[in-house]
Amino acid sequence: MDKASQYTTSMIDPALLARVMTGDQQAFSQLYDHSSTLLFTLAVRILGNREEAAELLQDVYLEVWRKVSRYDVGRGTPIAWLVTLTKSRAIDRLRARASRGYGSTNQLESETAAQMADPGPSPLETQADQELRSAVGTAVSGLPQAQQQAIALAYYEGLSHSEIASRLNQPLGTVKTRIKLGMSKLRESLQQWRNHGDLQ
Amino acid sequence: MTHEELEDSVPLYAAGALDKVERQALEAHLLSGCASCHSALKDYQSIAALLPLSLSPITPPRSLKARVMAERNPMPLPAVTEKKEPAKPSLEPGEWMEHLFPPVAPARSSSLPWALGFAALLILAVGGYVAWSLSTQRSIATSNIQQLETSLQEKSAKLADVSREVADQAKTLAELRNELEQRTIEATAVKEQLARREAELEDTRVELTQRNAARIGKTPQDELATLLKIPNVTAVSLTGSDMAKRAVGFLLYDARTQNAWLYSINLPESPPGTTYQLWAIHDKPVSIGTFNMDPGETSHLLTKKAPRFAAAKTFAVSLEPSGGRPQPTGPIFLLSRS
Repeated sequence: MDKASQYTTSMIDPALLARVMTGDQQAFSQLYDHSSTLLFTLAVRILGNREEAAELLQDVYLEVWRKVSRYDVGRGTPIAWLVTLTKSRAIDRLRARASRGYGSTNQLESETAAQMADPGPSPLETQADQELRSAVGTAVSGLPQAQQQAIALAYYEGLSHSEIASRLNQPLGTVKTRIKLGMSKLRESLQQWRNHGDLQ
Repeated sequence: MTHEELEDSVPLYAAGALDKVERQALEAHLLSGCASCHSALKDYQSIAALLPLSLSPITPPRSLKARVMAERNPMPLPAVTEKKEPAKPSLEPGEWMEHLFPPVAPARSSSLPWALGFAALLILAVGGYVAWSLSTQRSIATSNIQQLETSLQEKSAKLADVSREVADQAKTLAELRNELEQRTIEATAVKEQLARREAELEDTRVELTQRNAARIGKTPQDELATLLKIPNVTAVSLTGSDMAKRAVGFLLYDARTQNAWLYSINLPESPPGTTYQLWAIHDKPVSIGTFNMDPGETSHLLTKKAPRFAAAKTFAVSLEPSGGRPQPTGPIFLLSRS
């Protein structure tokens, strides 16, 4: 069985977006079903608040509906497009909130704890999704805690390496090295997983 | 930044950890066509897109789908303005994919990376050509502008010279015009003066004529000719008495001017202390005037006004003491025939 056809979340068929471009509401509904859990999880992780994450996701899907014609399958998978769009909008909202003086550390911690306490998979998640999720989780958790932390601060909080160094009270070079090493290890781990999967 | 530094920054770029300046530096490097960095970025960004899968999934509220489905428009509208625009959107849908590449999937065609690489190179080549073309056009345009500015400055200088020349000529013309007006005034004055002089000359000429007429006796022929030219003149002849038998006289009278001329010839010299006196005799003698005969003088012309001359019938010339007398007291030398 072809692996791509098994992925519903990680490998959304570009043809589904092509149908959305034509105004197909059923296709748009399917796109939501296959992506909303991952995007909502990402938004909650960044914003640390479910209500705000839901509000953000509502805007993101509306934007997807309106701007789906800009999607170019030659430049990336549908899920990569949706993840990057959601992450960008969430980081923008986070920075806007920070500029207004609101702190989010406590909320973030509580929501992160909630995430940890809510490991149940989505009803729509396929075995392929679970395998990929497991592989990524394993790769990330295999990183030293300092590297996980540095990557998470950059990826989920939108901090630059100098901001991370300041936040962690660490030398800038150390922070850069942590991120580089962490990303490099993730790359190697997932490449091995892909190769292993292909062999299977 | 060196290539090694740029290559080192690729994982940081994929994780979103670069600051703005470094991010722009790497993007410029990638656009310059570095294949190794391009390839590395594809791998790292495909990994970054998978990171959310490491989070424990959270199911969105059921009401969210209903809200999303209810709020969207019937048809996708790519050009519609967003409902809530972030203050500084970091990426737009579609735009981010210029630097984000999907994970290498088994189902994906192996030719895709090559196609993407070729497309990137084509974009770079076209971009480079456009940049070079724009730069060249800009240089040409700048050069043209400089030439035009230089030409404009030269033309402006020439225009200023011409303006100064015109101003000078206008000034000269104004001066000439003033001079012409002064000359005209002077010419008018000269003309008036000339007219006055001509008038004076005419007066002088008339006076000279009169004076010549007054002195007509000095030349007997001319004086006689002048007297004879006067029209309607009355002529009276006088004859010498015994005191001067050879003496004769002609008396001419112009009634219009009431002038009388006595032209006497061959009267003897009037002795010192004496004078000849002409009388017009009507009821009683009336003196018309006195004259003297100088030594050697043979003729004499006496000119006088004689208002009552027309009534006289006899004329006589007597020798009287100097200054004349109211009535004749001396001997008669000339006498008219009554």
